[in-house]
Amino acid sequence: MTHDEIKNKVTKIFRDILDDETIVLHDNTTANDIEGWDSLSHISILYAIEKDFNIKFILIEVKQLKKAGDLFDLIKSKTP
Amino acid sequence: MAFNTFSYLLFLPVIFLLFLICTDRLRWLLLLVTSFIFYAFLLKPLLLFVLLAVIVISFFFGMHIEKAITSAERKKFLWFGISGNLFLLVLMKYLPFTSSRIIAIGVSFYVFQAISYLADIYLNMAKAETHFGYFALYLSFFPKLLQGPIERAGNLLPQLKAKYAFDYANFRFGLLLFAWGLFKKVVIADRLGVYVDIVYNNVHAFTGLPLLLSTWAYAFQMYMDFSGYTDMALGSARLFNINLTQNFNNPYMATSVADFWRRWHISLSRWIFDYVFEPLQMTFRSYGKWGTTCSLLATFLVCGIWHGASWCFVFWGLIYGIYLSCSVFYRPFQKKLYAALGIEKARFLKYWRIFVTFNLISFAFVFFRSNTLGDAFYLITHMFTGKKNLQPAFAFSQGKYELGFLFMAALIYVCICVLRKNYDFLSFLKLSPFKKCLAVYSFMTIILILGKFHHTNFMYFKF
Repeated sequence: MTHDEIKNKVTKIFRDILDDETIVLHDNTTANDIEGWDSLSHISILYAIEKDFNIKFILIEVKQLKKAGDLFDLIKSKTP
Repeated sequence: MAFNTFSYLLFLPVIFLLFLICTDRLRWLLLLVTSFIFYAFLLKPLLLFVLLAVIVISFFFGMHIEKAITSAERKKFLWFGISGNLFLLVLMKYLPFTSSRIIAIGVSFYVFQAISYLADIYLNMAKAETHFGYFALYLSFFPKLLQGPIERAGNLLPQLKAKYAFDYANFRFGLLLFAWGLFKKVVIADRLGVYVDIVYNNVHAFTGLPLLLSTWAYAFQMYMDFSGYTDMALGSARLFNINLTQNFNNPYMATSVADFWRRWHISLSRWIFDYVFEPLQMTFRSYGKWGTTCSLLATFLVCGIWHGASWCFVFWGLIYGIYLSCSVFYRPFQKKLYAALGIEKARFLKYWRIFVTFNLISFAFVFFRSNTLGDAFYLITHMFTGKKNLQPAFAFSQGKYELGFLFMAALIYVCICVLRKNYDFLSFLKLSPFKKCLAVYSFMTIILILGKFHHTNFMYFKF
């Protein structure tokens, strides 16, 4: 999958989970930029991504994520 | 020794002067020896051994986690290190033999800090420290030794190793912050404590309004006491060019309980989130909101027990677990309701949410402060029943000037908050030298006149 395909798919997941169609993700987007993206919703979002992309995250990987771009790169590393 | 004692007011400048004249190569050693002397002032030798044991265990296992080849080995050393630290914590705080004989001041904080160090190495978020002296100083640095903040290795270790050069801005800011913290503690917190103690140490003598007012007063007493300590700790550290973690961010302006925990005792809430909640939530993620709920309840149970081995603290923790668990389910509906009513951006909504959140926090504080569970249940069932007037004893038992002192203290606090911008006293620094001197001398005089200097410990000493 390309970077942009991953970004679009992840954006859709964010919009579904946080119930906000206006969400736009960029590589430098962080939790401070998205209302509702906090510690309570973060893992739910990651779980939805795992199911959608058919991948698995481990805690060490999740801890390294600082911004949306890191998440896109991680997904890309796990998908063919 | 506590920060609000005259001995500390002598100790700090002496140490700072020695630090200034000491050669840079040995400054870490001076601070390390000073920190142990500082801890020794508590006159509890066992605590020094506990601190040393935590340092040795964590240093040893930190190195082994990093050197381990396989993932299983890394995990093994991590759990050995955590177990060793937790064993000491449980021994000092929760076993009847030791906990009844000694108040384990500081142990909860530096044990949690040591565990965060080991976990960060395991999670590849930090490197193991190879210099035993710097590592020992990282755990024992005296401004944060007794009540935190719980510092991460990535923040504090590099600062301790940095070459020191006297920085007048840091020096000035450190002293101002220290004075501000002292004001909050001895002028506001300790005076509020007078009223809180009258009610909470004899709850059955009161009904109605005194119970409510003393609960609100306790919420502010706790904030002023703990944030006052934090300011004094951060101010002391700043003299040495060390920036410790800010522990508070206007917590009573929180618009939800989750927001409150992003603003209150931030170093502990970050610790609980990073090392308890997130791993649990990852484990239970396939259970959706119920998985999050279980994780929250377990997390806040840990938070409650960390404060002490008492049912009151367990209840306090569980209350927050329930608050946050409920919010996981009702938040989507709440968002839709506000949107449907067209009020999601309304100003009054923000203040309403602040008011509701503050009362939820105050309700939880009933359990936190009450001497027994029975007292807590009496309080909450009698807060809106019985006599509605203030009992005269509640208001005036400490003398007719006490209420006046408290009112003046609150007024001064509000004025300074309004005048001060950006929390770093920038507006103060723009004054002329004469006005600055006048402001400082006036402020110190206010502290001396209005402050309660009958020695009262910081409230988080007992956790």
